[in-house]
Amino acid sequence: MLCANAFDKEGFLCDLNDWNPDVAAQIAASENLQLSAAHWDVIHLLRAYYLAYDSAPAMRALVKYCALNLGPEKGKSIYLMSLFPGSPAKLGSKISGLPKPDNCL
Amino acid sequence: MTAATKKTVLLVLRHSPYGSGLAKAALDAALASAAFDQSVDLLFMGDAVLQLQPDQDSHPLGMKTIGRQLASLPLYDINHVYVDAQAAARYNMDLSKAPLQTRPLGGHDMHQLMVGYDHLLGF
Amino acid sequence: MILHTLNASPSSAAFTDCVSIMAKGDALVLMGDGVYAALAGTEASKTLQETDASLYIMTADALAAGVTNLAAAVSRINMEGLVTLTETFPRQQAWY
Repeated sequence: MLCANAFDKEGFLCDLNDWNPDVAAQIAASENLQLSAAHWDVIHLLRAYYLAYDSAPAMRALVKYCALNLGPEKGKSIYLMSLFPGSPAKLGSKISGLPKPDNCL
Repeated sequence: MTAATKKTVLLVLRHSPYGSGLAKAALDAALASAAFDQSVDLLFMGDAVLQLQPDQDSHPLGMKTIGRQLASLPLYDINHVYVDAQAAARYNMDLSKAPLQTRPLGGHDMHQLMVGYDHLLGF
Repeated sequence: MILHTLNASPSSAAFTDCVSIMAKGDALVLMGDGVYAALAGTEASKTLQETDASLYIMTADALAAGVTNLAAAVSRINMEGLVTLTETFPRQQAWY
């Protein structure tokens, strides 16, 4: 359980390296979300994306990246919306311990 | 925005990745355009070819790595990337190792490319 | 065709890149430090004339820099002239 000062004022983790699956569950709980295997697929993908591209994806890139790695039926915004309601790129990044996507258009 | 009013835009990048904020600004412009479904293509000219240098790691400088961020552009459906062949040769670059798939162009071809767009944006 | 604006001296990469792209039918406006490329008898002004593009210089910038000895092919324009050019050329490329 990380204390409050490990997060910024919007609840994003300040240091990527503080992240572990327990922290993910902690952030998810604060968003009233219970993580399933389907969530974890996307979370691992988001972390891989960040390491590869040095940025958190905007929605468009996340959809395409999921399609490439999880198959076309999971590379759909409606599917991602069902897992991470509201703004999947933003909420998913948050739970994955990534900084807030700076291209949140 | 309807297809009829959609303008074609070429981003003309001309500066090295970390010497100024221009490379980052161009990247932001490309991503913002993609978010609004605007078609943008990129031309790396002169010292901007250095943005395509493989194995960049600017984390020791406390900055994001431009080369790795550029590698994400195809995920935003930005697929047409052109590069100044002479400048790449000047820096002895192996473009097959670049983070993006590019098409090398000579000076005359770069002019031909530029006149094919509605707008040019220089960075 | 392209309207180029150059705002950097002839020793800059901007100048070299600009010249490599300029072609007949294009226009170039020299402004800021770009005005030095118009100096008569210099390698730079010779290079510009060989591109066969139309060459213009911002009068105020040239005066400020003391660039009065202009190469023959370069025409002086003011802000109004620049606006007119931008109306003629849909595509503009700034070199700096």
